[in-house]
Amino acid sequence: MSTHNTPGKYGFLIDVTHCIDCRACNVACSVQNNVSMDSTRIWMNGTGVVGDFPNLQSYTAPFHCMHCTDPSCVSACTVGALTRDHEGIVRYDDDRCIGCRYCIYACPFQVPNMDLNEQFPLIVKCDMCGDRLEEGEQPACAATCPPGAIQFGRREDMLAKAKQIITDHPDKFIQHVYGEHENGGTSTFYISPVPFEELGFPIPGSTSSAYYNRLVTHGTPAVFGAAAISLSGIYLTIKNVKEETAEEEARAAARAAVVQAAEGSAAEAAAAEAVETAGEEA
Amino acid sequence: MRKKIIHELHDMPKFVYVLAVLVVFGAIVGLYRLYAGLGATTNLSKAYPWGIWISFDLSTVALSGGAFTLAALVYVFHMHNLHAAVRPTVLAGLLGYSSVLIILFMDLGRWDRAYHFLIYPNVNSALFEVSWCIALYSSILVYELSPVLLENTRWKGFIPVLEKYTIPMVIAGVSLSTLHQSSLGTLFIVMSERLHPLWHSMLLPVFFLISSLASGLALIIAGASISRWVFKRSLPQNLIAKLGWFLPWVLGVYLVLKIGELEIVDELHLLFTSGKYSVLFLTEMVVGMIIPIAMFSSYRVRHDRTASMIAAFMVMFGVVLNRFDASWFAIQPLPGVDPYRPHWMEVAILVGVASGVFLAYTLIGRYFPLFEETMVVEDKKAVGETAVNPQLAPEMSVNK
Repeated sequence: MSTHNTPGKYGFLIDVTHCIDCRACNVACSVQNNVSMDSTRIWMNGTGVVGDFPNLQSYTAPFHCMHCTDPSCVSACTVGALTRDHEGIVRYDDDRCIGCRYCIYACPFQVPNMDLNEQFPLIVKCDMCGDRLEEGEQPACAATCPPGAIQFGRREDMLAKAKQIITDHPDKFIQHVYGEHENGGTSTFYISPVPFEELGFPIPGSTSSAYYNRLVTHGTPAVFGAAAISLSGIYLTIKNVKEETAEEEARAAARAAVVQAAEGSAAEAAAAEAVETAGEEA
Repeated sequence: MRKKIIHELHDMPKFVYVLAVLVVFGAIVGLYRLYAGLGATTNLSKAYPWGIWISFDLSTVALSGGAFTLAALVYVFHMHNLHAAVRPTVLAGLLGYSSVLIILFMDLGRWDRAYHFLIYPNVNSALFEVSWCIALYSSILVYELSPVLLENTRWKGFIPVLEKYTIPMVIAGVSLSTLHQSSLGTLFIVMSERLHPLWHSMLLPVFFLISSLASGLALIIAGASISRWVFKRSLPQNLIAKLGWFLPWVLGVYLVLKIGELEIVDELHLLFTSGKYSVLFLTEMVVGMIIPIAMFSSYRVRHDRTASMIAAFMVMFGVVLNRFDASWFAIQPLPGVDPYRPHWMEVAILVGVASGVFLAYTLIGRYFPLFEETMVVEDKKAVGETAVNPQLAPEMSVNK
């Protein structure tokens, strides 16, 4: 609902049961995009070690930009450095960014990263390896993942596959595809045997905060117009009322003068004059 | 000439020198911040990308709301008897906005591209709106203050020309203020996942606008008391009482909307079940709204200088706390991340800029006709009244 954006062309399917926490995706991303491992565009979320000995378990999952259908960061960015392109990839223009960091707060998935130790820091964020996609290759993380936990393909295929897997194995998976409805729908889908909040995933609502944001910001020109018009109206109204009051007072004074003048016999002309001047004054 | 300058310097109140030292220190730290980057000089992080600087900006803009509130009352609503407060308040507003612009510049990771907001618009962004409105409104404040700065110079011939456009400029300024005061609240709408539900609301822009009216009026009242102390000049108490009369109404609407919104979205129970957030919210309400409403409702309080000053400071405290809550205290922590505490350099820059505001105000108040009534308004009677205001005149002669 709430958005006219069509869902993206591509999508990820990340199966938490297959992730072995080898972090090959982190390395591949770091090399591909020439960013340091500290401020990489992809990182690991996980449950930590849970359960009672000897039945210990640990689940992990790589996390990167979800490529929302209606991205909050794009709505927030002051200078339009973040955009969603025609294929649904949320891209970042590092020549425009002014470093205000509003996108970091706006993103419900806490995705945009920034190395504040740089003298002139910039946002670090997944762009679905757009260059590789143009050459017909998969994003580096998906192409690298040794156990095949990260799959990449057409968005609707990935979503259908995710739903297929969880319905086929109701004993193994939580019956929810994370990313299908989160923040108004995304292009990255997770299936997991444990609840997603236990993996350390943020749990946003099913309507993008970008929608609520637009509801207000799109009213701005109307508010400005309404304010300017009503203030002008108030100014003119009070001004006219004051002038009218002054006019009436002047008339009343003139009438009083007429009555007074009528009492004296030779003063009719003077009274007429008084009325005239009063009218002029008003 | 040199003798005169030395004499002037000698004659300055001592706190001016303290302020000057703080400004210089803040400026040095500020230059270091621009050179060294945000990481070395602030405690901002990915988890807390905004800190005390943004809280300061929000608070200062809210307090500077006095300038547009008063301009609306005097020029649009024709309450010319409030005119005596215009110049001091407009200067406070202009200096407030200037300090916000400096701090925003410090806050930009890419301060070298600060001008980008002018050439790369994103009309969906509340921050884009805010930047434009603040830039435009600051220019209007310069215009509104220009008679003060030009009056005793050889360019004073321009003043009548400038004053021809007072009304349209004031209306534009008030409209712009309505926009950015509310847009500052809009900023936090998109942050629904991080801001505590007691503060997050679709009515945030309305809350911010109404509370800026309240804090602006309170600033004029409190400022009158401060200027009485610093400049030996002030506003007559009947005028302060008139301003105070508005506050119960404004605060009352604010209070009803805030509680009503919580009731409608079914979050009223959070008022007493959210630990430190409940304490912060209730402090805002009790100290910043309920007690001042009670105080300003009383005729005796409105006509008592000390009592109305105390109540005004409580209103300002409540609104400033609200801005700090929305941008800092009520931001939900992320798991495994320490809460944000400002770095000493962040504070030093802030103290430097705030000292600069007080220093500039003191000096302009000393050398420019800030407290005199010479601006031409349409209602000549009002000018006549205030110019020979018996309560102002004796105080002016005390000043040396």
